[in-house]
Order: sequence, then C-alpha cells, then structure tokens
Amino acid sequence: MILFDGRIYDSSEQNRLLDELKDKIPSVLQRETLSPGIIIDAVDHLREDLLQGKFDELLESLPKEMVESYKVQAVTLLSKEHLWMKVKTELGTSEEYVTDKIEGFSSIRVKKVPIGVIFHISAGNMDFLPAYSLAEGLLTGNINILKLPSADNGLSLKLIMQFIEYRPELTDYIYVFDTSSSDIQGMRKMAELSNAISVWGSDMAIEAVRNLAPTGVKLIEWGQKLGFCYLSDPDNVEGLDKQLENLAEHIATTKQLLCSSCQVIYLDTDDMDKVRLFAESFKPYLEKAVGANLSTEIGIRARDTLTSYTQRLTGYLGQEEESDDVIRGRGMSLIIKDDNKLELSPMMCNVLIKPLPSKDLTKALYEGRYYLQTAGLICPDARRKELTELLMRAGLVRVTRAGHMSAYFPGEAHDGEYALDRYVRIVNIEEG
Amino acid sequence: MRLRRKLFANKDPYDSTKADLFLAACKENFDYLYGNCEDYRKICKGLKISSSDDIKTAADLPVIPTMMFKRHDFRSGRYFFTMTSSGTSGGHKSVIRFEFSAALAALRMSLKVTRYHGVISFRPCRYIVMGFRPTRKNKVAAARTAYLTTFLAPAISRKFILKETADGLKPDFDGIVEALKKYEKGKAPVRFMGFPSYTFFLFQLLEERGLSFKLPEGSKIMLGGGWKQFYREEADKATFYKLAKKTLGVEEENIIEFFGAVEHPILYCDCKAHHFHVPVYSNIVIRDPDTLEPMAEGNTGLVNLISPLTRATPILSVMTDDLGILHPGSSCPCGVKSPYLEIIGRVAPEDIKTCAAGAADILKGVNV
Repeated sequence: MILFDGRIYDSSEQNRLLDELKDKIPSVLQRETLSPGIIIDAVDHLREDLLQGKFDELLESLPKEMVESYKVQAVTLLSKEHLWMKVKTELGTSEEYVTDKIEGFSSIRVKKVPIGVIFHISAGNMDFLPAYSLAEGLLTGNINILKLPSADNGLSLKLIMQFIEYRPELTDYIYVFDTSSSDIQGMRKMAELSNAISVWGSDMAIEAVRNLAPTGVKLIEWGQKLGFCYLSDPDNVEGLDKQLENLAEHIATTKQLLCSSCQVIYLDTDDMDKVRLFAESFKPYLEKAVGANLSTEIGIRARDTLTSYTQRLTGYLGQEEESDDVIRGRGMSLIIKDDNKLELSPMMCNVLIKPLPSKDLTKALYEGRYYLQTAGLICPDARRKELTELLMRAGLVRVTRAGHMSAYFPGEAHDGEYALDRYVRIVNIEEG
Repeated sequence: MRLRRKLFANKDPYDSTKADLFLAACKENFDYLYGNCEDYRKICKGLKISSSDDIKTAADLPVIPTMMFKRHDFRSGRYFFTMTSSGTSGGHKSVIRFEFSAALAALRMSLKVTRYHGVISFRPCRYIVMGFRPTRKNKVAAARTAYLTTFLAPAISRKFILKETADGLKPDFDGIVEALKKYEKGKAPVRFMGFPSYTFFLFQLLEERGLSFKLPEGSKIMLGGGWKQFYREEADKATFYKLAKKTLGVEEENIIEFFGAVEHPILYCDCKAHHFHVPVYSNIVIRDPDTLEPMAEGNTGLVNLISPLTRATPILSVMTDDLGILHPGSSCPCGVKSPYLEIIGRVAPEDIKTCAAGAADILKGVNV
C-alpha cells in the first residue's frame, strides 16, 4: 500500500505516483517551511489517544508486556515538552543568529533549514521505528519519502495516517511506500528524488543502499552496534553486589537483542582463573534475573529457549566459534573465552566473559570500531573518570552504569550524533 | 538395523510392551548416526554424549530442533528418496532423506496403522484430494502423503482441489462442487483427503451457498497436513464435525485425522475419541519451555518426537516448534494404552526483533 496526498493507493501505482512526486516536490518547496510545532502537536495528540486506549486494538499484535511498557514511555517521550526539548537540544538553542562584524568582511546570518527531501529506509527490527524516523524528518521541516520494512504489519501506516488526521498540513510532507527491498529500480527512483537518505539496518542493508544512492545524496546511516560491560578491580567496587544485580537485570530484560545490550563482560585482567571465578560468581545473579523476567507467555519463552538451544547446537557444528568452557544455568549461560574480540553473543541471556586488561583496551576495541556504542562500566569510583576517558578514546559514544546500558537519557545523542542535526543544512545569508 | 526391522514389524501398532525394543532400536540408530554422520557426531560431542551407553532412556538422545534441518543439510550415508517440508518458515525448507529399508519400514507402519483404524478397503472409491497433484519437481511431503493415501482403497478417480495457475496454486472450489453433485448420485464412496483448513473452508462455502449433499455410504473424510498455516481460522473440532454432517452427510466416526511431520514421518492416526495415541514406532517427550528438561504427563511444553525410522538423516530425536501436552492413555475411552498427544499451539511466531550488529542474520534461520 502507498500513502500519497493523504490517500491510500495500491502498490501497483508506485511508478506513476513517483513520477507525480517529481513534479510535486518543487511546488511544496515553494511554500513556507513546515514548523516543528505542527508535528509536535500531532505526536502529542497521538500520545493522548494512545493513553486513552484508542489504539489498543491496533497494538494487539505486539506482546502485552511490551505494549504496557511502551505506554509508560509514551507519557513522557511523546509529550510536547519533551519534543520541544529534543528540538532545542539537537538543533541548538540559537537556531538563528548573526555573526559579529569583523573588519573587512560582511557579517552573516546563520540559519538551520530543512535539508529538503529525506528518503527514510526503515528497518523492521524495532517497533514504531518507521513512524519515529518519519517524525524526525518532519520535526526538521523536510519532505519525507518513507520505505516501510517488509515485516511491517500495517501498524506504521496507521500511525502515520493519524498524524495527517490530526494535522492535515502534514499531508504534503509524507509519502509512504511499501516497496520491497528487492525492488532496486523503485528504491533508486526514490533515492533520486531525495537530498538525503536515512537508512537503518544491518551492514548488508546499508551496503545495498550505498550501491543504489546517487552521487551527491547525503547518506545518513544508522547501523547496528554491539554493547559490552567493562569490569575493573571488582574487589574495590563499592556496592558491587547491587551493580551486578543491575547488570543481570539489564541482560535478562533486553535478552541481548539491542544495539546497547551487553554481549560481552570484559574483565580488566589477563588472568583466566579470575575470569572463570567471576563467571561462577555472576551465575546466580543472572539466573535470578532470568527467572524474575520470564515472559508470561509460554509461546515466547519456548521460542526463546528453542532459539538459544539451536544457536548452541549450531555452534557445535562449527559454523561459529565455540568455547568448551561454559557455565550453564536455568535459561542462561556464561561462555568463557580467552580472546578479547568484541563479538555478538548467542543472545537470549548467553553472555560471553572475556579478559581485557585496560592496557590493551584501545587495541582490542579498534578491531570493532564500526560497532562501538555503549559500555556499561563497573569500577572503583576513583578510577571511573580515567576508565571512562579511555573508553571514549577507544571509540565508545555512551558510557553508563552497567544496569543502564539500554536506558534512555533525555538529551542523549544517537550513535554519537544528534539525528535532527543530520536532517538540516546550515545556510549563511550576507547581512552587509 | 535389525532392531528397527523388528520394531516396525510389530503386529499391534499400539503395543505397550515394546518399550525396551524401542529404546534398543533407537540406540542402534544412534550408533549408526554417530559413526556415519559427522554433524551428528559434533552435536553429540557438544552435548557430552559419546556413546549409546550414555543413553538410558529415549529422552537422553540428542535432540535436534526441526528448524535446524531448514538451515543445515545433514548428511548420513546413502539414501533412496527424499521428502521436503512445505516450508512455512520464511521459505526455508528441510530435506529429509530415507534409505530403502526405511521406506520399507514406513510402508509396513502405514499399512498396520491404517488397517488398525479401518482405512484400508477393497471397495473402489472416488478421491477428492484437498491438496495438489505431486509432480516430479514437487517433493512437498504433505502432497505426497495425501496422494499416497489415495491407494488405501482402489481409486475410481482422483480430483485435486489445488490447481496450478499462472499465480501459483489456487483452490478450485467450483470444480469440487460440480464433482460432488455427480458423486452424490453414484454408489461409490467418496474419500476426502488433505489439509483440514481447506476442508473446513469447503464446508463453510457449501453452507454459505445453502448446498448440502448426502454422499454414498462408506464415504470418509481423512485429514492431514495440519492446521499450521491457518491457525487463526482453526475451527474447533465440534463445529468441524457438525458441518461435515450438515454439508456432506458424513458422520463423525468417518472423519479420520492423520498427524505427522517431515522430520518425524510416523503416521499418527486419531482414535474413535479423536486422540492421537503414540504408536509403538514412536516416543514423545514433552520438554520444559524454559529448561528443555523432560516433563511429566499433563504438562504443556515443547514437543520432542523420537523414532528410529530412518538413518539417512539424523531425525532420531527432533524438537518441533509445537507446544503440546501428553495425556495418559488410560484417560481415553478407546482402549489404547499408550499416551496421546494434544497440540496446544506453536511457539511465538513473531520474528525476534533485534538491532544488535549481525544478530538478525543469525536469527533469520531460527525464527520460526
């Protein structure tokens, strides 16, 4: 299905509509820039309706527990106040200013304006991501072409139509297509209409987009990352018990599926005995957290257990590296390895435990530089600053408490950048 | 495979005294696989099982999830023919191989089970297959088994409901209605065979159009191939039986359901009380959805199916993505002593969502 001019069209009309869009874009650009207040108002409206249960039927396809947690987050994150704060943080408080006069030169007015047309290639791996990406494009006043992920079940389109229903002024800024990723010609056509492409997804998805992007288009890539926890000198950590409890809770609740999830726990040592000892001591924490966070839906639990078991057997087949040294517990395992590579764990509460002395930290992480994002840090307070800085130099963009690796911090950047800032360009106007 | 021959030659398909023979045949199969299938051996070693001496009960056999057969081709020696699953899991299909003696054992089993349930008849009948005609190119097991059942009684004619069209396979309900009008007037019994869902859709269609038939005496409805693709539309069985009677004039006792999987090609046939009792050739272990430990009868868990039927693919003990309960045989009025399986549903079918680098590619193969 296609959303164009606020109306639904059949996918077969894609070509004709894209031709039409080519003529339409300049006429939209001719008009005054879309103000962020309009989409903020629409999102806030959506939030109210969501909290009043208007979309409960729509959200039935998602696990109940998730829906509840989304609603709790929506209270704050989709509020007008929070969205205005996001705009201010990400675009800067002085969105328009005039430079000081320097003798011999004209002063200029500096202003951030929409980049123009953004082609969003969204991924299906996060609920609401298509609508979220689109909302960011609208907040910055852009015209947005959105390609839905193939796995989208219609939820995104319905939410986006709500935006238009609340604020019809958005109609001309939203074009949604359910093009398949294999429709290279269609995707290329959309790319050719755009000033920037915002792409979310795996290395493979990004690689594919790079190949079809016209030279000159700005590529805004949101790739996938790997998180880890760094544990230094545990004997001198105050409140270690609580911190390990929080780390275990983080692992059990995210099931290691997020960019920020902990895949590896690195110990600041090269002594494998200490690594093993730690793994043994961490087992009860993780086992307890896993037990406390079991889904109430037997189908989900069975699926996760089966996934985990299949991963384990696949490891035995030698398609992936496998360690012999594994501590297993109920619904979890700790896989002890003696290398220090940052890699994906088998997930589902199967955590890698590895040695990484701080003197080798930048060297070890350099290999994984494209995937660095979040490190949860457990260390004595006295060393926190020094180790944080070391992690930053290694390439990390988020250093958090171990239990907060996947937490959201208002005002935070995304993978080292403010999204809204990537969706605007800076213009200079000579003032005289 | 002496013990397998003995097991599959057993006269009573529900003989409850053959547990020792079953375990011995499993060990015989295990020894062969361990010695001849490198991948199987790797899995055994990983699970710390190094010989059949480690196997005290059938539950101790290394369990391979059926989804692994969809992403990995296990090879263990020579084979005679292959079967392919219908590939409901994102296009992945599993290929299961059988050696000649496995095919013979399967044939023996099928004859014994069908004879026990009164499906074998010498009275010629007309078949309506709620599936498609298997071709040389098409190895989907559900189609093959549906086709094979049309030999359980001599066939006067075979009509297939799914027709190959330019847009793929499409049901031809109108053709079936025409056929039913003709068959109703004849004497030969009619036998339906195929997917329950299509059969149910047909009943609904007939009811909507106000059509009802009285098929000749001895007509049967045989169901197989599962409800999997149509879970949402799954009819409760009482409604199904009621509609069968109303639209085709077939009584409940003439509705027979088969259950089987490509990865566990044992013929399960429902008893008079419509329960799937475990036949002598098979064993079922229900496993804890959190730990995969075996559970006692009466609990809901993952369904682990065990049978030493073939050695050309290591499907000795497989874990399906079904959730089920094993009930004690004594709780069924039909007289069969072996426990019976009730399928409750499947593991969560939604894809696991992830944004961890590289995770999606790995999970793609295991998402069910």
